[in-house]
Formats: sequence, C-alpha cells, structure tokens
Amino acid sequence: MLGLLRNDPLVVRSLYVNHYPAVRHYVLKNNGNADDAQDVFQEAVTVLWLQVKEGRFSTSTESDPGGFLFQVAKFKWLDVVRSAAHRNMRVLHSDGAHVPAEEQDHEAEERIHRLRGAYEKLDEKCRKVLDQFYFERKDLATIASHMGVEEESIRTIKYRCMMKLRGFRRTIGGEDRRAE
Amino acid sequence: MNEAALHKDRFEAIEAYLLGTMPPEERHRFEQELAADALLRDEVELQGENTLAIELAGITRTLQAVREEHREMSPAASGKSWTIHLKYAAMVAVLMVGAVWWIARPPENERLFAEYYVEDPGLPVPMSAVNDPVFQDAMVAYKLGDFAEARNKWGDLLQREPSNDTLRYYMANTYLAEGDAQAAIPLYESVAGAPGSAFHDKARWYLFLSYLHEGRLNELPDTMLARDTYYGEKERSVRSRIHP
Repeated sequence: MLGLLRNDPLVVRSLYVNHYPAVRHYVLKNNGNADDAQDVFQEAVTVLWLQVKEGRFSTSTESDPGGFLFQVAKFKWLDVVRSAAHRNMRVLHSDGAHVPAEEQDHEAEERIHRLRGAYEKLDEKCRKVLDQFYFERKDLATIASHMGVEEESIRTIKYRCMMKLRGFRRTIGGEDRRAE
Repeated sequence: MNEAALHKDRFEAIEAYLLGTMPPEERHRFEQELAADALLRDEVELQGENTLAIELAGITRTLQAVREEHREMSPAASGKSWTIHLKYAAMVAVLMVGAVWWIARPPENERLFAEYYVEDPGLPVPMSAVNDPVFQDAMVAYKLGDFAEARNKWGDLLQREPSNDTLRYYMANTYLAEGDAQAAIPLYESVAGAPGSAFHDKARWYLFLSYLHEGRLNELPDTMLARDTYYGEKERSVRSRIHP
C-alpha cells in the first residue's frame, strides 16, 4: 500500500490484476456488464487511494485491500441498481445492509467530486507543470528541461498556478459556508 | 481561512512541509509555529487539499490507462477469423488514410513552417523580480501559452515606450505563435532593422518564417545571417527545399 501513497502505477496495476475479477464477477451476477464492473472498480480504487493518502487505511504489509475494494465496489453497484434505470432488476447477492461504511463511501465520493472540480478549473499549462511536480514528483530542473524553459520560470509558474488553485478553493470554501 | 495573498516563501515552506522535503530542524520549528498559529494550520490544510486535487487527477489518469490495458487484453469474442478480417480492415484503413493525407496535405510553405518554427521560450522570470512587474506578469502568461493576455499587458507598455525593441519583439512572437504572421511582420521588421538590438538576429529569423508562413516565397527576406551556424544553416535548408 506504500506504493499507492507514492502514486506508483505498478501498484494500481497489481490491484487490478488481483482484485478486479471478484468485483467483475459480482457485477455480472447482478445484471451489470464488464463496463459497469470497470466503472465501480475504478471508483473503489480511487476511494482506497484517498483513504491511504489521508492515513485512514493502514499501509502495513499485512493490510489486505481486496476486502475494502470489494465492499466499496459492491455499495457503488447497489447504488446504481437502486437508481431509476435499474429499478426493475433483481439483486441476487445483496445482504441488504445499509452500514456506516456506505455513508463513509458517499462522503468520500463528495470529497472526490469537490477535488476534481477545483483541478478542472486549471488551464492546460498549469496542469502540465503541477502534474509533473506534485503527481509525478519530478524536480524543477527536469520539468524545466522538458518544457524548454528555465528552472526559475517553472518555479514561478508553479507558485502562480497554485495561487490560482488556492483562489478557486477559497471561493468553493466560501460557497460551502454560505450553503451551510 | 486566510483571505490575504500567500507570500511565495511561506507557500514554499508549506509545500516542503507537506511533501516531506523540509530539513528536520526546520520541520521542528515549523511544527511549533503550526501548533500556535491557527491561520497557518488553515493554510497548510488548504494547500494539502490542493496538492491532493492534483494527485487525484493523476491517479485517475493512471486508472484510466490501466483500464484501457485490461480492455485490450480481453479475449476476442469469436476466434481467429475475426483477427484475419481485422488485419485486412486495418491494412485497407491505413491505405485509405495515407491516400486522404496525400490529397489533403498542407502546402509546402505550411509544412516547412511547421517543421522549422519553434516558439521563442521567452526570458527567465525571476521569482524575486520587483522591477517591471507588468512585464514579468506578461512573460509568465507568454510562457503559459496565454498569448492574448501577454499581448494585452505588453501592448499597454508599448504605448508608453513605442520604440522598445524587447516589447516589439515579444509582441510579434505572440502574434506568430497564434498564426497571425501578418500582424507579426511589421513588428519583426522594426527590430530586424535595428542592428543594435539584442533581438536583431532572432527577429530576422522569425521575420523569414513569417513570410514563409504567409506563402510569400518570392519575397522571402535575406536574414543576413549566412555566417550564423544556427540560423544561417536553417535558412539555407528552407531555401533549398523551396527551390531545389
């Protein structure tokens, strides 16, 4: 799970290989198709990633993400099944439980939605610099060399783009407070 | 939440703290300050959220890529015959795309322009610059590819200093970067005609490219850079391909 903390793509691939088949099996048994299974599994991995990042999921070698991924994916698929488009379907493998974990899952979903909303407001050039620095963890010199500009300019661009993001988030924060 | 601007030094300190790159002693001091300062705690939380938003976008892209890999690895529904049909279909598609490309390919001057044009990377923008903040703001916009904003800011400055060769040169660059070579030409001409300008050689090269872009091949200006190992060689190469 430490690899997930570092955004390591190999860890994401290994999660797919090891845990996607169980989710796929469940969704196919419950009136879904492979695309539906991919959708809910992808969302479940995102929730797991967020939990790891926030220290709410143990990164020790004993921790098994399989059970967590299956539970989250299952709740998400049950949500879809309960929705209007699937109202007439018969769910074969639901224990019918509405447990706190499901509420927690909705909270994570809202949070993911908010975070995505802020990022989507950034322009392409800002995304390019910030992605390389914060996600790929490249140093300024490497980014500067890739983009054909000086390191100091990348540093300034990074600062300005993060200030833009700060401005968006401050606005969102204000809106949230007004809504409460 | 703190509504005021966040100074760059403070921003970078928070960044180093969140990314775990802050030296231990500094980290210890920072944590003491953090315990006593609620505004700083808010700022750290907000910056942590913003960093998470960027990382979330990255992990979503990774997941999408892995999903595509899995889709490709899915077994074909109906065996070998489909594979053979698909191979033939792919070959026909490649031939058709090739034919369409050959018919619709852009004219020679546009292809040469696309091959030789490299946007001027702009001047370094120091973080601590206090002189010419408007010029530096425009340079950041230019580097970010926001040419209209850069031109807007440099245009105001150019009204006050109409003979400034730096402003003229970079204004021209914003036009050419957006494909408006016609607007760029007079600005490049004024800099290319000033031998004392630091941008003299570059302006001559981009003027040459602007004419190429416009298809004015019989009027291509002599860059007078024949001895220049960089621009001279490029100019000769373009000319030899237009008039082999």
